[in-house]
Amino acid sequence: MFSRKFDMGVKVGGAVVGGVVGVLFLLGYFGFRNDFADVGYRPEQPVPFSHKLHAGQLQIHCQYCHAGVEKSAHSPVPTTQTCMNCHTAVKAESPKLKLVRDSYETGNPISWVRIHKVPDYAHFNHSRHIRAQIDCKSCHGPIEEMGVVSQAKPLSMGWCLDCHRNPEANIVGARPISGVFTGKVHKMENLLDSGYIFTPIKAQVADKASLKPLTVPQYGGYDVNLPKVEVAGIPHPKVAGVGPENCSSCHY
Amino acid sequence: MKLRFSQIIQIAIGIGLAVLAVMLFTGQKTWFSEDPPIEIQPNLDHQFRAIPQSPNSFFADGKSLREPVEGSIARGAQPYQLGPGDIDAAETANVDPKLPKTEFVLARGQNRFNTFCSPCHYYNGKSENSAVSKRGWAGIPDLTRPETAALSNARIFHIISAGQNLMPSYADKIDPIDRWAIVRYLRTLQGVEGVASNSPVASTATN
Repeated sequence: MFSRKFDMGVKVGGAVVGGVVGVLFLLGYFGFRNDFADVGYRPEQPVPFSHKLHAGQLQIHCQYCHAGVEKSAHSPVPTTQTCMNCHTAVKAESPKLKLVRDSYETGNPISWVRIHKVPDYAHFNHSRHIRAQIDCKSCHGPIEEMGVVSQAKPLSMGWCLDCHRNPEANIVGARPISGVFTGKVHKMENLLDSGYIFTPIKAQVADKASLKPLTVPQYGGYDVNLPKVEVAGIPHPKVAGVGPENCSSCHY
Repeated sequence: MKLRFSQIIQIAIGIGLAVLAVMLFTGQKTWFSEDPPIEIQPNLDHQFRAIPQSPNSFFADGKSLREPVEGSIARGAQPYQLGPGDIDAAETANVDPKLPKTEFVLARGQNRFNTFCSPCHYYNGKSENSAVSKRGWAGIPDLTRPETAALSNARIFHIISAGQNLMPSYADKIDPIDRWAIVRYLRTLQGVEGVASNSPVASTATN
């Protein structure tokens, strides 16, 4: 009924249109997922600060600069004063640190570029996670290996829930380098052994048998038998447990 | 076998889709971008509100964080009132809470010591091989020498809180109770029991 040429045109056209629609669908549906839109975001910072040098080689603990992360929902970007604690004497004349010295003299903060961000309608509290002995690496990746920090994890809701539902498979246990308080004393000979700090600690939760939900999944209801949150005024680390899954835990 | 034009196109599209699908479904993203992430609803993700340490166009200085009113103290904050030179006043001003020497307290002291003190004083307090001393900052005092071990708890608390010589104050970074835990832990590094907090000590030790 149709000419051979027309038939051919329909076939080719159909294939092309189908392919384009398919590609657009895949790009739209998966390309906007945080796994691809957010992971790998590596902006240039005003000061070429290297976590690989400071945390990796010098083994300065995360909390030395990001102090207050135990107490606050927001993990603080260090003040210029923190940089100058050491850089008054170490590399005091380095041209790379000119912005830091200027900031120290004028009092104007350095405009660091923010990398990790959950949307404003979701509330993430750093202190709760640090006090549950969750290592920084669980969500930020191996920062101590990054010369320039990039986002390593999607920080999407599904990714959060993966961990809240199944922590022992996803959480990196507290490492000494992070300064996460576990309530346990490290042996001095282990600390002085330089291999200790970066001994990879696989996903670990202190005692799997002790895992029990802190909330019933849907509507809250906290376990009344939680350990005391303070001992002699010192914040006590929480026991390992499953994170809440009710909506209002994060969207409030 | 000779392929027709339409078949070539179909095969090419099929291969392209397969590669894309494999990349999207299985691949961890391995490329980096300096461009901010794409957001479908930017005004939901970035609401107009004050976020700590973020810029804010509402205030004249452009910062979200506000300076406290002159002379005010934040709720629950315990600012350290003495300056670096007031070390003698520290003997009576700093009252040792006498934390019990339990594993928990020592663990807290060690945790805070390793975090905030070890960059200069190293994990054993001897100040050798630390990050800073290896980078050319000479003359960091050894915390385990007898002169330092003879200092009272109140004085060591004072030095942590107010700083001394080139050492800055750590009062903004470490809570008072954690500073006392550090003092308690430091005593185990020094191998001494420590002088009771308020007792006057000979003011010969200057470091």
